[in-house]
Amino acid sequence: MNVFAAVFTFATLLLGSLYPGETITVKGSDTMVILAQRWAELYMSMHPDVTIQVTGGGSGTGISALINGTTDICNASRPMKQSEREKLKQRFNTLGVEIKSAKDGLALYVNESNPIQELTLDQIKAIYTSKITNWKEVGGPDSRIILYGRENNSGTYVYFKDNVLDGEDYAAAMQSMPGTAAVVNAVAKDKFGIGFGGAAYGKGIRFLKVKKDAKSPGYEPTEENVKSGQYPVSRFLYLYTRSRPTGALKQYIDWILSDEGQQIVSKVGYFPIR
Amino acid sequence: MRIALTLCSLLVAGSLFAQVKDSSQVELQEKTSELKGQVEGMNEMLLDMKSTVDALKKIKITGYIQSQYQTAESDGIGTFSGGSFPSSVHSRFLLRRGRVKVNYDNDLTQYVLQIDVTQNGVGIKDAYATIKEPWLKSFSLTGGIFDRPFGFEISYSSSSRESPERTRLFQTLFPGERELGAKIEITPPETSPLSFLNVRAGLLNGVLNTANENDNFKDLIGRVGVQVPLAEQGLAIDGGLSFYSGQARSNSRFVYKTNGPAKNFTVDSTAANVGSYHDRSYLGADVQLYYDLPGLGGLSLRGEFISGKQPGTATSGVFYNPGSTITPLYQRNFTGWYINYVQNIGLEHQLVVKYDELDPNTDVEGNDIGAPGKNLAVADVRYTTFGIGWIYHWDANVKFTFYYDIVANEKVNPATNLASLIPFKEDIKDNVFTVRMQYKF
Repeated sequence: MNVFAAVFTFATLLLGSLYPGETITVKGSDTMVILAQRWAELYMSMHPDVTIQVTGGGSGTGISALINGTTDICNASRPMKQSEREKLKQRFNTLGVEIKSAKDGLALYVNESNPIQELTLDQIKAIYTSKITNWKEVGGPDSRIILYGRENNSGTYVYFKDNVLDGEDYAAAMQSMPGTAAVVNAVAKDKFGIGFGGAAYGKGIRFLKVKKDAKSPGYEPTEENVKSGQYPVSRFLYLYTRSRPTGALKQYIDWILSDEGQQIVSKVGYFPIR
Repeated sequence: MRIALTLCSLLVAGSLFAQVKDSSQVELQEKTSELKGQVEGMNEMLLDMKSTVDALKKIKITGYIQSQYQTAESDGIGTFSGGSFPSSVHSRFLLRRGRVKVNYDNDLTQYVLQIDVTQNGVGIKDAYATIKEPWLKSFSLTGGIFDRPFGFEISYSSSSRESPERTRLFQTLFPGERELGAKIEITPPETSPLSFLNVRAGLLNGVLNTANENDNFKDLIGRVGVQVPLAEQGLAIDGGLSFYSGQARSNSRFVYKTNGPAKNFTVDSTAANVGSYHDRSYLGADVQLYYDLPGLGGLSLRGEFISGKQPGTATSGVFYNPGSTITPLYQRNFTGWYINYVQNIGLEHQLVVKYDELDPNTDVEGNDIGAPGKNLAVADVRYTTFGIGWIYHWDANVKFTFYYDIVANEKVNPATNLASLIPFKEDIKDNVFTVRMQYKF
């Protein structure tokens, strides 16, 4: 009888964990949180039997949750690092599955009153590494540049550091904000401020044109420029799962990649992958 | 008159209203100004706190506790499943690990201190500092006590490892896993075309963990590894080649070496042997394959093979470490290998199957051990271990392991009368069942 009870309990535990019901948890990038909420809202309205819980916290936080088994989908505005894949390998024996869900131009914001229209990648790097500290050094007013950026658990932070600063450290004076919306708000209120973030968060500020180098033309992070690759600071927005998705999870991801899901991408202000 | 009075009243009321309006505007401005001051003050406090938090973020404290119950097939067995059982005892509770690790990582420099607290006391496990060059960020130098840079199983933490213990092979060749010395590591950044490659090489005392050096030779250990991720196929293949080049100094004039054709040990007892050096050299290869099995979960298949020369003693295949004792040295050729299969089932379950073999003396057979005049002993007996287990991950911190080790020894010469070898005429009943609870943070 005891053996039977033990086997029954064990089987219940096993089956219960294998078929956890149709609740999908999504966690990660703050850049993607509005996009993920819109996807979830529309999908749940079409599939009332599916519950999708979306939270932000940053790409790093989402990837940690994926490794800890506390989220089904991780939203990330940067690719997963090798060290993070190693942790997934150790716990789940997988590398994780990377799904490109949208494209984003990483915009440089300045206050609407700022006369500067464009910067080169080198100038942006020099500004964010404290080599340029005054707007007059790039043709603007004689005033200190106030730097706004993201916290280090943010995929935007990592992407900007790796691709614009070439891995160099951010200036110590940079004020780290908890989300892209906070960066936008700060720059909108600070006429000598500069910030960076997703192009979808552009309200109340002005996008700078970005030039690959001094001789190149400057481009704004528009759909056309991002899709054509002319805008120099563009990136994919990713979904990560631990294993190859199946069941309700697969159906949801397939829908995100469908025309219907990609229309949401455009509506939120990012760019479809196709 | 009535009109004049009405006008006067309106003027007075208007004036009073204007005064009230002025005073409420002033009050509002004062409140706004006060709030602005408070917000600015909070902002300053936040910036101050942020610099403190940023500094604290560089410190990571991690740890784990492994508490376990074990039961063996018979009393007082010698085992590699958590150490030998006391005589007349075949079941026990153990605090196998009680680790706390402090890691301060300043991007280009790192400080690590790890201690282990168990029922046997407190011990130092890791204590090292690492510096990384700032230009390519690919080369680093480490000094202190750290894992020997050989193979795969050494550096695979027991908090992540699926089987309760490392194989008999690794426990024999690298007891305690760690060593005092210095090492360099080459790990090209992810953006480099060489990011699939990693190299580790170190000069170490070649003694044991925190023990003091006992000769002037340093042992050279290294591994060249590759990682081939095939993400599209849900597959990853990692692997490496390792080497160990060391020497052990004999404190005794008696040095035993195997005589291949005769399958026995012959002794060289010349006085010049005292202070002579003998090879401790290994070559190893390891492979790890990971595959994402749709609908079930990830699986891994890991294997490792090591062959080489090991200076030991008559009774132990563990490397010769004489200290102040005058113990005869036995030089053996050995091989060992293992294969380990892990299958994830859903989020919380893992099936584990592991098989390992250690032949500590490849020049002899079981029938030679115990035969007259061969000078062979317990340390020459070949072992295999088949382990099967189940892991249940309670949550992100806690896991339970249920694991059974089936240990088989080579049978020695049935005619032997040596007391130490008589039990080895048959397979010793030394299987072990382990139930472990681990908490990791």
